[in-house]
Amino acid sequence: MENPLHHFELHTLIPLNLLGIDISINNGILAMWAGLAVMFGLFMVVVKSGVRLIPGKLQSVAELALVFIKDMVEEFIGKEEAHKYFPFIASLFFFILACNLIGMIPGSYTITSQLVVTGIFAICIFVLTLVIGFAKHGGHFLSILVPPGIPKLMIPLMIPIEIISMLARPISLSVRLFANMTAGHTILAVLFGLAMSASLLIGWLPFGFTIIINGLEIAIAFIQAYIFTILTCVYIGDVIHLH
Amino acid sequence: MPQFEQIEVFQSLAFWSVVSFALLFLLLKKYAFPPILEALEERENKIRTEISDAEKLRQEAQELKADLEKELKNAHEKANTIVQMAGAESKKIQEKTIQETQAKVRQMQSDAEQEIQIAQNKLLNEIRGYTAALTIAATEKVLKKSLGDEDKKRLVDESIEEVLREMDSKGA
Repeated sequence: MENPLHHFELHTLIPLNLLGIDISINNGILAMWAGLAVMFGLFMVVVKSGVRLIPGKLQSVAELALVFIKDMVEEFIGKEEAHKYFPFIASLFFFILACNLIGMIPGSYTITSQLVVTGIFAICIFVLTLVIGFAKHGGHFLSILVPPGIPKLMIPLMIPIEIISMLARPISLSVRLFANMTAGHTILAVLFGLAMSASLLIGWLPFGFTIIINGLEIAIAFIQAYIFTILTCVYIGDVIHLH
Repeated sequence: MPQFEQIEVFQSLAFWSVVSFALLFLLLKKYAFPPILEALEERENKIRTEISDAEKLRQEAQELKADLEKELKNAHEKANTIVQMAGAESKKIQEKTIQETQAKVRQMQSDAEQEIQIAQNKLLNEIRGYTAALTIAATEKVLKKSLGDEDKKRLVDESIEEVLREMDSKGA
């Protein structure tokens, strides 16, 4: 049986180098571009066909998604600041969703199953929250490390705990998405491997499961994109409102 | 696991994913989100204004209805008064007509009585004249002589009285 992790391997297609940084284009990046192109193309179809007061089907879907994200941003970041962060949060959602969904096509690649990709996003978001926090509250921002109403005696204990919890955020954020995507595709690969290697008499069973898991994976593609963005909202909201 | 073993692709993955995200972010922010969000807001405003307009119209309609009902009530009351007044008026006219008719009848009655009285008197005078002449002639014939004026008058009056008495007794 073929190694079920084999399909996570990347193959460099066009070797490129920019100022000593390797920016070679591989199959994962191509798949990501395809996904993003489809996502942006769908938005352009909505916009170019004329945004109407009485929406068509595609416009309804786009509006539903945007309203959903807008409500989320308004809930966690606040109504007055929501418009500043909405484009970023919405783009993040559609980026992750497009990458997750394009990976469901056989032969394609799920770039969100690479920890380095989810990790760089999580780190960027972490740095962004720090920048927002310091820009908004200055030195007072450090009070985020001291929960309100805590006895003075506990402060030396709480600060390290809070620092760890802060640092755990980008780790959990990146690992959650990476692990979900990797696990789903691994299960699919294992089941397909079983279906291929077993005789037809028993092989239909794992094959049937792949159909169910496929449906589940599509749901997970949406759910993980949602969780990633909602947690980003929560983290940004935390540093804006502190406590 | 290839995700941890293929270290050589990390640079390009990190680079391209961030660049691609930045590009998607800029494109979506510039071209995709504003028109759709605008349409959403426009629709929200339109629905809001239309609902408030409808509410206003409803209120106006209610006020109008109340006004019309009031007017209808007034008209009913007015009509009732008019009918009542007309009834009273017609009664008055009727009574007046009856009274007038009665007065006229009474007038006609008294006129007739008067005429009858006049005719009676005239007749009586005529009868008196005839009787006088007859009496004088008869008396003259009886006495074969003319009477003096005083006797004539006396005799005439006597005869008249006699005739009248007789008529009265007959009439009675």
